[in-house]
Amino acid sequence: MLLAGCSGELSALDPAGPRAASLATLWWIMLGGAALLFALVMVLFGIAYLRPGWLSRITPMQWIVGGGLVLPIPILVLLTGAALVLGEQLLPKGDAPLRIEGQARQWAWSFGYPGGAGPYDGTLHMPAGEPVDIAVTSADVIHSFWVPRLGGKIDAIPGHVNVIRLEADEPGIYWGQCAEYCGQGHDGMQFRVEAHAPEDFAALMAGAAQ
Amino acid sequence: MSSVNHTVLGKRFMVVALTFFAIGGFLSMLIRAQLATPNSAFIGPEIYNQIFTMHGTVMMFLFAIPMFEGFVIYMLPKMLGARDMAFPRLTAYGFWCYLFGGSILIIALLVGAAPDSGWFMYTPLSSRPYTPGINADVWLLGLTFVEISAVTAAIEIFISILKMRAPGMSLARMPLIGWYMLVTSGMMIVGFPPLILGAILLELERAFDLPFFDPTRGGDPLLWQHLFWLFGHPEVYIIFLPAAGALSTIIPVFAQRTILGYRSIIAAIVAMGFLSFGLWVHHMFTVGIPHLALAFFSAASALVAVPTAIQIFAWIGTLASGRPRWDIPMLYVAGFFCVFVIGGLTGVMLAMVPFNTQAHDSYFVVAHLHYVLVGGFVFPMLAGIYHWMPHISGRQSLYRLSVPAFWLIFIGFNLTFFLMHLTGLMGMPRRISTYPSNWGWDWLNLLSSIGGFILTMGFCLVLADLVLQWRFGRRYRRDPWKAQTLEWATATPPAPYNFAALPRVDRRADMLEPAKIGPVLAGARAISASCAMASRKRWASTCSPASRST
Amino acid sequence: MSGANQRALVLLVAGFTIWSVGFVALYALQALGCAFGWPQHRAILIGAYVVSLLPLIWLAMMKTVREGEPATSLSVAALWANRAALASGVLVFLPVTFVSACI
Ligand SMILES: [Cu+2]
Repeated sequence: MLLAGCSGELSALDPAGPRAASLATLWWIMLGGAALLFALVMVLFGIAYLRPGWLSRITPMQWIVGGGLVLPIPILVLLTGAALVLGEQLLPKGDAPLRIEGQARQWAWSFGYPGGAGPYDGTLHMPAGEPVDIAVTSADVIHSFWVPRLGGKIDAIPGHVNVIRLEADEPGIYWGQCAEYCGQGHDGMQFRVEAHAPEDFAALMAGAAQ
Repeated sequence: MSSVNHTVLGKRFMVVALTFFAIGGFLSMLIRAQLATPNSAFIGPEIYNQIFTMHGTVMMFLFAIPMFEGFVIYMLPKMLGARDMAFPRLTAYGFWCYLFGGSILIIALLVGAAPDSGWFMYTPLSSRPYTPGINADVWLLGLTFVEISAVTAAIEIFISILKMRAPGMSLARMPLIGWYMLVTSGMMIVGFPPLILGAILLELERAFDLPFFDPTRGGDPLLWQHLFWLFGHPEVYIIFLPAAGALSTIIPVFAQRTILGYRSIIAAIVAMGFLSFGLWVHHMFTVGIPHLALAFFSAASALVAVPTAIQIFAWIGTLASGRPRWDIPMLYVAGFFCVFVIGGLTGVMLAMVPFNTQAHDSYFVVAHLHYVLVGGFVFPMLAGIYHWMPHISGRQSLYRLSVPAFWLIFIGFNLTFFLMHLTGLMGMPRRISTYPSNWGWDWLNLLSSIGGFILTMGFCLVLADLVLQWRFGRRYRRDPWKAQTLEWATATPPAPYNFAALPRVDRRADMLEPAKIGPVLAGARAISASCAMASRKRWASTCSPASRST
Repeated sequence: MSGANQRALVLLVAGFTIWSVGFVALYALQALGCAFGWPQHRAILIGAYVVSLLPLIWLAMMKTVREGEPATSLSVAALWANRAALASGVLVFLPVTFVSACI
């Protein structure tokens, strides 16, 4: 039920690839933890107000050390450590099988494929089932490349080339958009991502090269 | 007009800041009206971009910071048992700078030439080729005046705390709010110059074509982001710490017990002040900086939750070990706990680099920042207004409207912003002026807009309540809340010189009995006749500190 | 302001001032190492991590009041602030040991 309410063509909670899925898992874990901590603080506040006698035996030192140090520090160390390890796994380390160039300008995206091949139709074509690196830059102002169902985002900055690795489980149509405010056409900077079965992708590239 | 008295200037700061708050709030209503429905044609992107830029700019620079400056300028000397701030003419200078800079921005908005590059003004969008009009220059010019005002206020607060305390009030006896303000003003002195520098560099680029931020000629747009956020992140804590100081003053009054953990809170404030300078890159997790660099900032961002937790539990512990009583300020304190804790928890989530790559620049961040700033500043401010308004007006509230006003604000706020967490995770990016209806964001935005209008009704009701209190409130004798800090030992409304004789403090200054001290100090008027003279000139600082010699 | 008070005030901010210097230094070493492709980048970073912790350890163990003087609120707060600075140094700089430095 809840998950159905979160689905959508641009929903980060409706992942369609392993990388976006691990980000969504991280979110659900953090949401659970946050809900527990919130409940704890609110219950303590409520008791402190309505039934202060119940808590009157807790000494000042116990409040400060217990609530301020013992409670948050282990949680934060574990969470940050886990997030850094996950971040390491998501980094575009080494070479992915395929590297696609993405260029943003006001207010559209264009994509270039190895060897100058490929269809220049504003759609990002990629093979499904394998990681793909997108090297993102900008021709004018700063934009941001974001395909929520396949992974996180990376900024397109003039003078810089930033690489993000994406992966789609299944062939299909996904949607991406510009996430960094870039002027009057920022509203309409969506783009289509088409993931193909690997053999279809190879055929598409070969066809476009001719 | 030419007053240099801190009571007068403090009130002026607060009134002007609240006026800007109303303007910023009105702009946010336009934003919510535009976003209520998909494909809305209420205002086009050209106007919308000016409106969201001005909403952010007004709320951050023209409301939040001047509001607490005004509060501190009004209250600090009274809390420290002094007759004025250290540099009264500098106070006045800061006020006029602020009013002038703020007016530039508002006039630009009225003539349709307001800044439209976002309140963060990222280059190269804000550079000459992409923003050819005067819009960005207006921002740089107006804001620089406001920043100068903030730096003067910070220097003044810093020096006043170190030099103007009442006899006997050593630093170790100062009420906690003094510590909060000492650290905050120190942070401002370090934090504002990077932004002033950035603004100068950007204006040089725009006016004289010096390519600091232009990658084609050896500059780098990321330089602006570093300078901006090196200011911009501490800014959030600069706004939160004074509010936390107000909470540390209000909560003990209603718990009927002095604050618990005085020394550990001082250490926590110092830790927060420094850690908050190690967070700025968490606004830049997606700009392509190496993972190790992000890791430093991620870890520091997570760690800053610890001093926050210390304060939260010290406040809860204070209530639990006291004899809490109920009153309107405490209603807002309860609202603060609920809203700010959620904002803090989503802050820890955003500090995690992988999650941030999804949530960054989405409505999740809009939700988070409003939970932190409204929870961490506006709710404590409202608690403070209900707590200290009797000090300014000499009258107590009637309480007919306060309770429904609180619930409208609380419910309206949560309806507006809680849903935005989900809107953002469902992919809605910030700063879009409209959206098609195929992404599933329609109902969320509609409910957010309805919540926004409920919230506004709540603020209108608070305003009505305050006007009624001012006009018809019950008069009272000294110290209506039985507070234990010195500001309640003045007459209410206070005389320009605050205290006829300066108090001599012989214990921690949040354990005093203002109702007893006050009349004694006021009765000493005859002794320091020079004060009465000075008060006629409304320049209390010339007053000779008669009782200081002993 | 009395001498003891002044000393306590300096000690109150000393730990975190050192923490700030260490933070900036490590960030700079990370960036320089990547820019110039230092072969022993990781070793340098870990070395700087250890070096930055030494003064923090010294401060955290130091007495914040002189012999014979009573502990004030300020000196106790200073002691805790310095311990917090040490903990912040250990935790915030720890990623130099395992996180990718240049991607
Ligand atoms: Cu864009």
